[in-house]
Amino acid sequence: MEQVLLKVNKYRPLSSLTTGAHLGAGLGLKADHLDDIFALPVADDAQMGNQLWFEVHTENYFVAGGPRRHYLRSIRDRYELSFHGVGGSIGYDHQSMPEHIKQVKALIDEFEPTLISEHAVWSRSSGAYFADLMPLPRTQDALQSLVDGVDRFQSGIGRRILIENPSNYLDFTSEMDEPQFLVEAAQRSGCGLLIDINNLYLSSKNTGIDAAQYLSQIPAELVGEIHIAGHDPDPELGQALLIDSHASPVDLPVWELLQHALTLFGHRPVLVERDANLPPFAELMHERQLAQGYLDQCRHETDSANVSLGETR
Amino acid sequence: MALSPYINAFTDYLRSGDARGMNDYCVDVTQIKRLAVYRNGFYKGCIDALAANFPVCEKSLGRESFNQLASLYVDHYPPEIGTLVGYGEYFPYFIRDLLAVLEHQGGPMLLPASLVDLARLDYAWLTSLMSADATQTLTAEKVNWLVEHGVDFTQAQVTLNASVDLLRVNAGTLNQWIGFKTNSPDVEPLVLSPEGHMNLSELAQADSTINVDTVMFWRLNDAVQARLLSAPEVALMRALQDDGVLEKAFAAALALDPDFDVSDVFSACLQNEILDIDLTKYNYKH
Repeated sequence: MEQVLLKVNKYRPLSSLTTGAHLGAGLGLKADHLDDIFALPVADDAQMGNQLWFEVHTENYFVAGGPRRHYLRSIRDRYELSFHGVGGSIGYDHQSMPEHIKQVKALIDEFEPTLISEHAVWSRSSGAYFADLMPLPRTQDALQSLVDGVDRFQSGIGRRILIENPSNYLDFTSEMDEPQFLVEAAQRSGCGLLIDINNLYLSSKNTGIDAAQYLSQIPAELVGEIHIAGHDPDPELGQALLIDSHASPVDLPVWELLQHALTLFGHRPVLVERDANLPPFAELMHERQLAQGYLDQCRHETDSANVSLGETR
Repeated sequence: MALSPYINAFTDYLRSGDARGMNDYCVDVTQIKRLAVYRNGFYKGCIDALAANFPVCEKSLGRESFNQLASLYVDHYPPEIGTLVGYGEYFPYFIRDLLAVLEHQGGPMLLPASLVDLARLDYAWLTSLMSADATQTLTAEKVNWLVEHGVDFTQAQVTLNASVDLLRVNAGTLNQWIGFKTNSPDVEPLVLSPEGHMNLSELAQADSTINVDTVMFWRLNDAVQARLLSAPEVALMRALQDDGVLEKAFAAALALDPDFDVSDVFSACLQNEILDIDLTKYNYKH
């Protein structure tokens, strides 16, 4: 245990400019919206902290060549990218990670994303990939497995990553709460955290945790990115079980929780996720502008606080 | 609590739908039905990927029937690697085997026999689309350079571009596939027996009485192209696949048709960027 706790953090820190402090609100990149994105005026007046950026699911670009990689190159030539992995199975089954990591690293070398993230979950076992984000029990054994997975991943790509909190639909036998679990994983492995506000909201509704208390347990310096998204009620159980669908606009309580998170963590890149039931690009940009508004407000309040502090001195 | 038994129980649930093994790991057993969110997500992700990778199969069967077939496939062949890009490698053969099982059972065939070829065409199209970009394309400019430098280019070693795929399908299937792919109003319905079903005996009979087409897919300017090849063209492409020497490939085509215009086909190959050549041994410079 001591050996793990004394591990030297050999990855770049999150708080530098190279890890996204200059980014504002971003959007998930969808092929259906490419023409709209290329039609956007080039932002030559980008201010610190308001740059538009795009996030992709890394594994969708595990192709040898062709138009998918070519359009990603065109996007990268204009915007900064975040690579968000959904298939790394960092929490379990690390035997098959090397080939996966090799492909991720090749993409990182080619496209140089500003942010790289994965999920604190598992998705592979017994030779099968389950194509969804399966929950880990919050136990010491699972924590060690997650730390090992993050360590392998970071070592393989040579970059620090962020790991995302899962959506919870029911409680599993656990030895600690989720903030403890994630913070411990981050501190042991040297990774940062991606706080998905929608996931947190769903977990609070589905399992009864206190979202505000959850956020208060997360050290701000660990947080490198924030996600927001829409959700939908379960077709059978209705509001008693909210599903992380990414198929609807961001709901009001999630916006409110985002504001609270920004108050606690300060300015962080915020991604508006939408993966299904895609609206016109303009609608997503409208949501993105709302998120940017909250970020601008957060930046303004921080600057004001700094000025006040200066005057006091 | 050890992690592996939990993962094993969860895995059993995801594969079988039987959640009893998860009882020990759920705080409130009355909520165990909520595990279905994860299993539904797994199946939905896989089925959506299959629908994206086999769009003509999905269109030809209709979404509901396709989902049933795809769900069976996921049962038998769950993804093995951490991406759904390219998922469905065995789907055409799964359909073929399923047809064989259904015929063996003697029940009505609810799947059109041409679905196997449509699935093969779907996957070949996808494979061509995602194949590696060419870096050593043989162009007219390179041919001219070889000629200017006294190299007999017909003796040069060439390879077919990584995006090139040749496959044999029952005659007429490509047109049907293109019709579905392009939403053509002229697309012919899938071939079914007079009772609405075709069994394997009928399919075998059809195979022996109708011609087989060879289809070539390749990618040009980020778009996948398709065409039917004539018998000499097939011989030429096969010879290029096997040997790679242009002269031998031309000879193979001419052996089938002495009037075959090799220069015409060679020009078409150059224009469509189908051939690759490594010119480093000739000290070629741009």
